Amino acid sequence: MKVTFKIWRQENAKSKGNFQSYEVDGLTEDMSFLEALDHLNEILVGQNQKTIAYEYDCREGICGQCGVFINGRAHGPHDHMTTCQLHMRSFKEGETIMVEPWRATAFPIIKDLVVDRSAFDAIIEQGAYISAKTGTAPEANAILVGKEVADKAMDAAACIGCGACVATCKNSSASLFTSAKINHLNSLPQGEQEASKRVLEMTRQMELEGFGSCTFTGACEVECPEGISIINIAEMNARRAKAKWIG
Amino acid sequence: MYFKKSIIALTGLFLCVFLIVHLSANSILVLPEDVARDMYNSYSTTLRESPLIKIVAYVLYLSIILHAIYALLITINNRKAKSKGYTMNRFKENSSWTSQNMGLLGITILIFIVVHLANFWARIKLGMGEGVDLDSKGHVDVYEVTYSLFQNGYYVIFYSLLMIPLGLHLHHGLKSAFMTLGFYHKKGLKILAKVSLVYAAIMTVGFGIIPIIVFFK
Repeated sequence: MKVTFKIWRQENAKSKGNFQSYEVDGLTEDMSFLEALDHLNEILVGQNQKTIAYEYDCREGICGQCGVFINGRAHGPHDHMTTCQLHMRSFKEGETIMVEPWRATAFPIIKDLVVDRSAFDAIIEQGAYISAKTGTAPEANAILVGKEVADKAMDAAACIGCGACVATCKNSSASLFTSAKINHLNSLPQGEQEASKRVLEMTRQMELEGFGSCTFTGACEVECPEGISIINIAEMNARRAKAKWIG
Repeated sequence: MYFKKSIIALTGLFLCVFLIVHLSANSILVLPEDVARDMYNSYSTTLRESPLIKIVAYVLYLSIILHAIYALLITINNRKAKSKGYTMNRFKENSSWTSQNMGLLGITILIFIVVHLANFWARIKLGMGEGVDLDSKGHVDVYEVTYSLFQNGYYVIFYSLLMIPLGLHLHHGLKSAFMTLGFYHKKGLKILAKVSLVYAAIMTVGFGIIPIIVFFK
């Protein structure tokens, strides 16, 4: 299989980047997208050229490290999928594939396709933890949590923090990410102690980090590898109003 | 920013309610001329003379201004948050064109409002331009103002065509406003999406067809 990659190359945060084209032969349809990039990097090493920087870790869709904008979509052409789960069979023979880093002011480019997502960590630090002691597994069962509540909390907890929601959002809003973290913990009895503080401080930090506002386009829930619903954002807004006005 | 967003949602919802009242009044215009003129003129006289409506009118002006100004401020902030866009962006595959272009639709509606106010409000309330006669019962003949305006085909096209961006803006805006204000009931949101569609369709068709009917009267 032969394709042309048009990849964003940028030396560092301050330098001006540009697209560079690479015609790559010797690929197979069964290769993952990242394996195709690995293959390209091997070719570049052979030619004594600088390799392309991109992030990954688990390569099985659970760590949230990989993530690039491929052909105009976050994580490529499919809904609810990480970049590492994307395979070359999703592209046509001879196709030109555009690869760009996540674009958001809050996610500055470190190099090529690697962006700095520590703005997410700053939001997490404001409240994505609990102070309640949950003990070991048998003790945890002493706190009764209904099935519906547990399911809802788990759906929100599925967020892997990849940043596709911010990347695809026209306003680079981090609302889906932040709401998932808030609703995960605030739904559960263990998260109750810091519930109000968590909402207020995490949403405040979200704005301080320079993310935009949510306008409910719904693009984020389509690109989210875990399919986290934008209803979480509406619920975060309700929790925010309650924390602010009622306490 | 969330405070501003909430104000946009609240003023937007108020404007949605206002449009229902506005369309109800406009529907008088499709009645036969002898009935319509009387009803329309006495209705508008009642409105102008009511002190309660005076307060509502000021809330209305304020709502439009706040809605537009806060939308502008939020858009500026959002642009800062996305300082560089994508060379290739297939957003149509993950979201509606309308939801991505609320600002553009809003500006179109604002242009419409300015023209609309110049046609009616400035003439009737501020007394600018051509004077307005009284009808046989001594009411200001607002019906005549409307009727004569829509004898001009260009105005009919302008008024009717611009109800399309209004409808699109309302369709996304109504459901989005509820979510901004924290309405997160799953089944309720499904119903709300349908209500928004029906509401937007009624507003577009309703406001859009009346000038055409008046034109052919």
